[in-house]
Amino acid sequence: MAGTSSRKSGSAGTPRPSSAETDLVKEAEATRASSGYHLIGKRTPLIDAALKVTGRAEYTDDIKRPGMLVGRLLKSVHPHARIRSIDVEEARRLPGVAAVLTGDRYPTPFGVLPMTHDETALAVGRVRFLGEHVAAVAAVDEETCERAFELIRVEYEPLPVYDDPKVSREPVPVKIHDRALRDTNLQKEVFQHFGDVPKALEGASQKVKLSGKYLGVTHGFTEPHCTIAEHTPDGRLTVWSATQVPHYLHRSLSEVLGMPMHRIRVVKPEVGGGFGGKSDPFPHEIACAALAIETGRPVKVLFDREDVFYLNHGRHPTQNDVTVGVDGDGKFLAMDIDALLDGGAWSSFGVVTTYYNGVLAMGPYRFDNFRYHGARAYTNHPPSGAMRAHGGTNMRYTVESVVDEIAARMGFDPIELRLQNFLPPNFKTINEFRITSNSVRQCILAARDRSGWEEKFRKLPYGRGIGVACGFYISGSNSPIHFTPVFPQCTVHLKADMDAGVTIHCGAADIGQGSKTVLAQVVAEVLGIRMDRCRVAPVDSDTAPVDLGSYSSRVTFMMGNAAKAAAENLKVPLLQAASELLEVPPDRLEASEERIHVKGRPSQGVPFHEALHKAMETKGALVASGAYSTKPLGGTFKGAKAGTAPAYSFSAYVAQVDVDLETGFVHVENVWAAFDCGRPLNPLAVEGQIEGSIHMGLGQLLSEGLSYRGARLMNPSLLDYKILTPMQMPKVECLLVGEDDPEGPFGAKEAGEGPLVAALPAVGNAIYDAIGVRLMDLPITPDKVLRALEEQRKKGGAVRPPAPTRPSERTPTHGGR
Amino acid sequence: MPKKVPVRLRVNGEEHELHLPPQRILLDVLREELNLTGTKRGCDLGTCGCCTVLVDGEPRLSCLMLAKLAEGHQLTTVEGISPAGALHPVQRAFIDLGATQCGFCTPGFIVTAVAFLRDHPGATRDEISRALSGNLCRCTGYVKILDAVEAAARTLAPAQER
Amino acid sequence: MHLDAFDLHQPTSVEEALALAQRHAGKFDFLAGGTDLIPNYKMHLNVRPHLISLDHVAELRSFRPEAGWLGATVRLRNLEGSSTLIRRYPGIAEAAEEIATPLVRASGTVGGNLLVETRCFFFNQSYPWRQALGFCLKADGDQCHVVPQKTRCYATFSGDLAPALMVLDAHAEIAGPGGRRRVAVADLYDPKGDGVRRTKLGPGELLVGVQIPPGAEHLKAKYSKLRVRPSFDFPELGVAVALEEKGGKVARLEIALGGLETYPRLMKAQTAPLVGEPLTEERVKALSEDLVKAVRPVHNTFLAPDYRRKMTGVFVRRAIGALRSGS
Ligand SMILES: Cc1cc2nc3c(=O)[nH]c(=O)nc-3n(C[C@H](O)[C@H](O)[C@H](O)COP(=O)(O)OP(=O)(O)OC[C@H]3O[C@@H](n4cnc5c(N)ncnc54)[C@H](O)[C@@H]3O)c2cc1C
Ligand code: SF4
Ligand code: FES
Ligand code: FES
Repeated sequence: MAGTSSRKSGSAGTPRPSSAETDLVKEAEATRASSGYHLIGKRTPLIDAALKVTGRAEYTDDIKRPGMLVGRLLKSVHPHARIRSIDVEEARRLPGVAAVLTGDRYPTPFGVLPMTHDETALAVGRVRFLGEHVAAVAAVDEETCERAFELIRVEYEPLPVYDDPKVSREPVPVKIHDRALRDTNLQKEVFQHFGDVPKALEGASQKVKLSGKYLGVTHGFTEPHCTIAEHTPDGRLTVWSATQVPHYLHRSLSEVLGMPMHRIRVVKPEVGGGFGGKSDPFPHEIACAALAIETGRPVKVLFDREDVFYLNHGRHPTQNDVTVGVDGDGKFLAMDIDALLDGGAWSSFGVVTTYYNGVLAMGPYRFDNFRYHGARAYTNHPPSGAMRAHGGTNMRYTVESVVDEIAARMGFDPIELRLQNFLPPNFKTINEFRITSNSVRQCILAARDRSGWEEKFRKLPYGRGIGVACGFYISGSNSPIHFTPVFPQCTVHLKADMDAGVTIHCGAADIGQGSKTVLAQVVAEVLGIRMDRCRVAPVDSDTAPVDLGSYSSRVTFMMGNAAKAAAENLKVPLLQAASELLEVPPDRLEASEERIHVKGRPSQGVPFHEALHKAMETKGALVASGAYSTKPLGGTFKGAKAGTAPAYSFSAYVAQVDVDLETGFVHVENVWAAFDCGRPLNPLAVEGQIEGSIHMGLGQLLSEGLSYRGARLMNPSLLDYKILTPMQMPKVECLLVGEDDPEGPFGAKEAGEGPLVAALPAVGNAIYDAIGVRLMDLPITPDKVLRALEEQRKKGGAVRPPAPTRPSERTPTHGGR
Repeated sequence: MPKKVPVRLRVNGEEHELHLPPQRILLDVLREELNLTGTKRGCDLGTCGCCTVLVDGEPRLSCLMLAKLAEGHQLTTVEGISPAGALHPVQRAFIDLGATQCGFCTPGFIVTAVAFLRDHPGATRDEISRALSGNLCRCTGYVKILDAVEAAARTLAPAQER
Repeated sequence: MHLDAFDLHQPTSVEEALALAQRHAGKFDFLAGGTDLIPNYKMHLNVRPHLISLDHVAELRSFRPEAGWLGATVRLRNLEGSSTLIRRYPGIAEAAEEIATPLVRASGTVGGNLLVETRCFFFNQSYPWRQALGFCLKADGDQCHVVPQKTRCYATFSGDLAPALMVLDAHAEIAGPGGRRRVAVADLYDPKGDGVRRTKLGPGELLVGVQIPPGAEHLKAKYSKLRVRPSFDFPELGVAVALEEKGGKVARLEIALGGLETYPRLMKAQTAPLVGEPLTEERVKALSEDLVKAVRPVHNTFLAPDYRRKMTGVFVRRAIGALRSGS
């Protein structure tokens, strides 16, 4: 049945043992196993999982403070309007109301990037999207807050509404922000040109241009935003918040409230998912703190699901054109990109987004000529921002579709074409990215072999198809957002006391991705102890050293390195103490199996706790610190730092689909996801990231999208914003084939965002293989598929794409590099 | 002063005598009056499954239920799924097989799965995914959740056969 | 999200429920599973100061699938789980199984499903959302935003059970101030109505249950549903078909469509001419084309109206095909 065709379980296309000479996955696993780590690389359950499965884990909304008030925020009913006046006197007098605030109380603008502060805690003089907050009320309960809302009189003077970035790009009568470029509503524009693109394209024997159109999508984390603030008589402010980046919140609170940072304490309880949607410092967090200061009582602001949709900060609605020119042998010559992003009402991470949509487009391929023009426009839509695989998703879909199209037109197998054009490891790209470890070849070969590609590509019956796509993503942004003061990307503190446990302090935010577990794994690995000796302290700015936050897939790499350094430092006095007990020089000792012992001879040693106690005799509790700073990377041209990272992840995904030719429903049957995250520190968690990414990517591809009529968001609910259900997931096979990265902790790289990007185009290309139409307007809902099929029939009937004609010299699994 | 009515709730085997306005929703009462915060609020409108509790053993959405109408029923929240200090096989499998990431959807999944496996020990993966199709998870892509429930089904099946 | 204050009544009999309804005439709603009403109340949609819960009315819970009787407060979950129902009325079981999610179906009832509020992008929104738009005809306002005018609402009927019951000629038993009466489920809905009032139930009338007539169990019946996701989503189209063939000719054929217009519709005009005819492929094709011409969905759900119309043809063809091939 059509409507439920996606119910079918992944019965088709069962992976067959590869015909290849070698199994790349097993080979990679064997190599890793030979290094003999006792915890690293082991499938490790999350250390907080037992709390989560029993309902004991504490999220912000689970916290109750004595005398706590309810804080609620009044939403604007206009998408763009001047606020002539706000009268809150009557609301203030309503019994049960403790405070009513408006934007003039804390008007200092803020924002995540220091150069684009254009948000305020509450609207100041102007509203810029439907749902922006114009007043904050603290009262005894929600009902009283809503009654107070009815008593607040806001006089608006409507302004022209901008809901189309193409209009915002032109000269406009009213600027949404004064800081918009020239006389337009553009927030940011990027021009980059390396080599000579026009010349290279002229000389190309084949040029392919595709244009992609993408609705905005949003993070869809299950935990709505929530913040609690409390201002105590000692003059200190404590803020508990569902945030991915406690440090940026800390800074913004200080800037806007005019309170020194050392008097503010930011605590991050468990966070119910982020995906980028909790990485900006948010107006409601500051408004909540302001209400707490005003009332002297704890205040909680909890969002409705609808409010979550308005705050958005999700992936930008995007239009992009990608042109690639190749020579007669299929060698990529030049790439030319034009992208227009709908930024919504605020800047957020927009400058970064605008760069990323261009600079991340080439990898994993080698190009010697590259040109990019990107623009991000302000509109009166809810703000766009950073979402998983930020800046790397929509552009990747168009690029991988172009590559697939080139292969089709030139008669290449798309895998062979890609193999010819991959960046090698240890290479500097034309835009001066330093590529170090790179296993993209192994990825695509593993995905090819496991998926049975050769028996399926262009060979499945019409309506069924298989497709491939590659991915590339940063493993941590090399440059911090704030340039001053200079300090490490991440710092980890350890304390080992007489109880023989190790307490780990770090500001890195575990938002479900399992970073606490990685911390414990790394520290325990280095100290040769069991993981249960390690306790990861809650993220609390009073005690945890700064980490720059859980975004840009930086945590495993940077925090992992900091933790490793801290643990090495803690090990020094332990080896020293053991050396005294054993009368063996410290450089002949090592830590493993809960002992400090002579290298290779665990029996000749002392238990961990004895060494520890010995070391404490004079020093007391042992403390150690470790930090990780990035080295300078990138060129000197404008925007050269954007996209630089100490390492990059690579991927190649193959997807198999079944398209219902009468209804247009696309059923994704299988995804073979080959991913290079270097050495996976915790394969269980890495697989979880890959599977979750595929879910999110397929959602964007098939059904998710923020739908607007004018500036009005039509689907701010989980019923009408369609996240995939358990019944729609394909069979997923994760193939972890990466080699150790030279700088990553134990060889690891990121696995948080990169796993998303190849999922969408792999399916898009599989649809092309199935029905011969290329769908470039996301989400690909069944009505669009059907329309495309109808057009195809009008043009002369159902056509399968042609089979490769080029002599495909089957690249052996051990293809030389 | 809003009108209040007596509400007697039996949650996880414990009796609670409350006085509440009749329009109070069960989810709010569990979380705010009884401090049973394991039951989560993801949408408040029946569209996510985070708020699932057992009513006489049946998984129901507590965000769509009046507390007053839960009187006379046995309520079980995630806190009452397993006896103190022990874990239900479903919980054990969720931990071991990586079925929880951020954990916010987890109580809803656990409660739904426990009830389903009680009635369908040895259920297949397809049956499980259908049974869990009222719960949304944004982190895991459901793969490991289905793995875990399937594994728990295998543990439970022999135990429950006669 | 909170609910506005109301008085909650918990009658234990139909008579008591009717008396309460009379006492609070115009100011009450009946409450069954609440899976439709509570979300609407949370969005402050047409809220009333009295709720009359049907939970304790034992008569409404009576479930006798072997006799074709479904009490109004029988839970949807019980329908999909009943082997008798699946055997005798597979179309109803299929429809039930496709409603919402298993968690919603554990609370949702047969009566609530037949009387479910109609849906529209401009209606199923929070109070502030609707306020920003100036509200609409169906709640708090006087203008329709889908078909701009001020007299009729075009919100979409989105219940799944009604079409499946209509093709079996099921009857609803209604209790009201004037006693009890039975009407065909198809006649619960008024295609000539203003769309704001969603059924022909009189003020203070209560749905007691549904009777499927004897003989219906011999019909081949099927329900198929168009929606984007295989759970959660309301129907964008619901097709119910009941078919009986004798000697290679159609003895009975009924088709009911839901999820397209303000009311579910039994498509007699299109199916009646086929009785006594052999059901050839051409006839099925012509029938599905007639049906596509006969329906007028508007743009207030997720999928575009022209697509939903097209799918009407496809789904009808497929459903008939499945019934005849026995799959
Ligand atoms: C996430 C979600 C998805 C959904 N998806 C679907 C779907 O796919 N298909 C679908 O059909 N529905 C869907 N629904 C709506 C709803 O859950 C079902 O229609 C359900 O059957 C309603 O039954 P109920 O008992 O909960 O109704 P209630 O909410 O209790 O009542 C609904 C209406 O009927 C009236 N009523 C109820 N019983 C009687 C009676 N005996 N006499 C007189 N009036 C009565 C009530 O006053 C109210 O106006 C969905 C709901 C949610 C929350
Ligand atoms: S169809 Fe018109 S009147 Fe009816 S709910 Fe929608 S907007 Fe309101
Ligand atoms: S909170 Fe109840 S279903 Fe989402
Ligand atoms: S684990 Fe985060 S939503 Fe499921």
